[in-house]
Amino acid sequence: MGLKAHVATLPGQEISVEEQRRWHVDDLLPSRLMRPADAEDAARGLRLCDMTPAAVVTWGGGTQMRLGGTPRRYDVAFSTDRMSRLLEYEPADLTCRVEAGMLLRDLQEALLAQGQRLPLEPPHPDRATVGGMLAANANGLGRSRYGTVRDWVIGIAIAYPSGKLARAGGKVVKNVAGYDLMKLHIGALGTLGVIAEVNFKVQTRPQVEATLIAPFNTSAPAIDAGTQLARQYLAPAAAVVLDQGALKECGLTADWRWTLALKLEGYAREVEAARDKATGVIREAGGRVEGGDVPPRFWDAARDWSAPDAELVVVRAIVPLTAIQAIFGVLPEDSQVMAQPAAGLVDVRVAAGSAASVLERLRTVGGDQGQVIVATAPAAVKTGLDVWGPPPPGFPIMRALKQALDPNDILNPGRFVGGI
Amino acid sequence: MERGDLDRLLRRLRGVVGDSYAFADPYEVRLYQYDASPETALPDIVVIPGTAAEVAQVVKICADANVPITARSAASSLAGGTVPVKRGVVITFARMDRILEIDAENLRAVVEPGVVNLALSQALKPHGYYYVPDPSSQGACTIGGNVGTNAGGPHTLLYGVTVNHVTGLELALPSGELVQVGGRKAGAASGYDLTGLFVGSEGTMGIATKIWVKIQPLPPVQKTLMAVYPDVETASNAVSAIVRSGILPAAIEMMDKLSIQAIEAASHAGYPLDAGAVLLLEVDGVPGLVEELGERMAKVCRESGASEVRVARDEAERQALWKGRKGAFSAMGRLSPDFYVMDGVVPRTKLPETLARIAAISARTGFKICNVFHAGDGNLHPLVLFDAFKSGQYEAVLRIGDEILKLCADAGGSVTGEHGIGLEKRENIRYVFSDDDLEVMDRVRRVFDPLGLMNPGKVFPGDVLEGSAPLKPPNHARRRAAASAGGDEIWV
Repeated sequence: MGLKAHVATLPGQEISVEEQRRWHVDDLLPSRLMRPADAEDAARGLRLCDMTPAAVVTWGGGTQMRLGGTPRRYDVAFSTDRMSRLLEYEPADLTCRVEAGMLLRDLQEALLAQGQRLPLEPPHPDRATVGGMLAANANGLGRSRYGTVRDWVIGIAIAYPSGKLARAGGKVVKNVAGYDLMKLHIGALGTLGVIAEVNFKVQTRPQVEATLIAPFNTSAPAIDAGTQLARQYLAPAAAVVLDQGALKECGLTADWRWTLALKLEGYAREVEAARDKATGVIREAGGRVEGGDVPPRFWDAARDWSAPDAELVVVRAIVPLTAIQAIFGVLPEDSQVMAQPAAGLVDVRVAAGSAASVLERLRTVGGDQGQVIVATAPAAVKTGLDVWGPPPPGFPIMRALKQALDPNDILNPGRFVGGI
Repeated sequence: MERGDLDRLLRRLRGVVGDSYAFADPYEVRLYQYDASPETALPDIVVIPGTAAEVAQVVKICADANVPITARSAASSLAGGTVPVKRGVVITFARMDRILEIDAENLRAVVEPGVVNLALSQALKPHGYYYVPDPSSQGACTIGGNVGTNAGGPHTLLYGVTVNHVTGLELALPSGELVQVGGRKAGAASGYDLTGLFVGSEGTMGIATKIWVKIQPLPPVQKTLMAVYPDVETASNAVSAIVRSGILPAAIEMMDKLSIQAIEAASHAGYPLDAGAVLLLEVDGVPGLVEELGERMAKVCRESGASEVRVARDEAERQALWKGRKGAFSAMGRLSPDFYVMDGVVPRTKLPETLARIAAISARTGFKICNVFHAGDGNLHPLVLFDAFKSGQYEAVLRIGDEILKLCADAGGSVTGEHGIGLEKRENIRYVFSDDDLEVMDRVRRVFDPLGLMNPGKVFPGDVLEGSAPLKPPNHARRRAAASAGGDEIWV
């Protein structure tokens, strides 16, 4: 009789059927709920799960819960909702330390009060948490100008199944002491540990913001103009190419087919110069700059478009800039598309029935320099899809890392690349 | 290594790279015993592979023979990162110095590890692009070495350090495999971010044989200002004032009185000799804007106590100001036969009190300490001046270094901002990480290198990393030669 027999019952708080539904992942329901109070508590809780062993799905705001494969097992919903404090913030240092369960919106509001911001805008900041943003590597529309989550995280505290709480990085903006484990956990979908605390560097808010809307009859010149701008100084803070349907969801109806929307940010003179440059590039590509007002929610709606609350299928292609046109070339007629030409990213809403064939076509066109994933899909559709695509060449190392940090395979089993 | 084993290993390695590119002659390998740190250790064999496939084969042969491997390129490490403390084989990249591709369309360049940092930016310039991270040693250090240490530089304040500019790597792993992680595309969505994990791992996980980097359009105009302050405290407070003003400079560098004197003696950059501290500030952007920002910054400088603000009127003046800064370490030879440099980091707001404490250490111990550093990101480079031929001085200086790193850590900072832990700070790493933190990192290391053959003796404290060699006394003669030459041997 070992320790295992002693703790055979599942850890955490037993929950009602109704509660179980609230914490569903795809078609799976947990029987227990854990809501740690802080980082140390999270590590203790995780150790109990590991000893059982009980399969754990870590929850932030749940906005990216449809990303990834269906879990193989799911016993405990591990929610960070009680870990929502801003632990440290020194505006003059442009750094802060927060608990993983803090809502993005709350963090941005605290920063805004000091004229600062975190230039990361994942979908649904009113529900998305800091920890969830890291785990899902959820980025917004500013990635070509401001980089992604990995460029703004300077430190991290992780609760591991071993019961240890271990840190990496630190609180300063420049630091090469020890391994950069922040990179390992960003985008790992909670399969290597539970993100408990995060240290960010932040930036001063831009002085001025402006939006340009440019109509095009076909997609190719709109994409061209967008990528062209990315290659020049004064790159836009955001550049998206939308079809009519996507544009409508962002609050604009148009009699033209394709739109290049640009967000310009910076010092006043810089934005002025950027506007001139963008206008020139758009005209050269055969487009024009539309006058008139942009609805106030336009950029928020564009940001949220790839993570719809409705049960839709969104396929995401991440490719070198020069491969975007080819991706557009194989999109089915009935799909809706929003691309970030400066970032090499194309999001496509496809009909459930054609999801598998679209995935296959995009993967063929994207080639080995690109990656095509299912960003979100209803559980029933997902079971028939290879959501991550073939594992990358470094996969044996990834599996070994998983084995080293989560030997009993309790963290989000089956949701990550290659069945990790 | 036994003579017979060594001969057998050498024969096998020569079979891969050719007779002239693998050698064990004690005289020839002496050149590879050191880097820019005070530590030295002789390798058994030095190999100079010509291709990634050769690197992979060399690594495999060494791993099969259970022989330690240390990757070394320009060997400008200030932390002993490339000193082969466990002997074995040193792999050097003198022949792998090709820029394989400039792909401006996708904003990428693909390089071999031996490409000199500055050579890449020079090759990109005609295309209108550059590679951002610019360590002061950029005229000698290589991209491969930059990946190893996650190198920084003055202009990383606004644009980020090496890891922010690397999107993919080809790695030779101890298993003998050659594996590509990441690549040309913008985002990582193919599993764990092994590229990000590898950058800054100081050669303890494997060897990068090919590197995909981001390239960036050159800013149309740069404006460089020099602001003169009565003392370092006023200058430090000015740094915070500039950051609070909403201006995002591309670089903010500080030099104190002693450094100014050394620099002026060596390079005549035009820094005023009576200044207590000088800030070097740079903004970049479009014409019109940089002038506006330059004026705003000059105003903030004056309001925060600068007695003089001088703006570089042309590129020649700008280069002169930067030449002084980038040659600062070499210039220390004018003041002292030897110096010991640290790489601590503190939160920007802790600069004044940290510098005051360093000054107090200097007063207490009698050793002069210069400060030349990246003030904008709080990355200090205190230089303790000493004479290695005077008995007990080196040991005393190591204790001072230890004390300074401890106070940086206690201020909420780090023991290294850009030089790496290497050999030098593997015990100091405990000031910022607990046993649990290090245990997790060591687990990750073992995934890549279960036998502990990749750059052994580095990064981790001796008792975490079993069997590390003890520190040896410094090579005084070499250190002295470098300092008296006053040339470009040492950078930071």
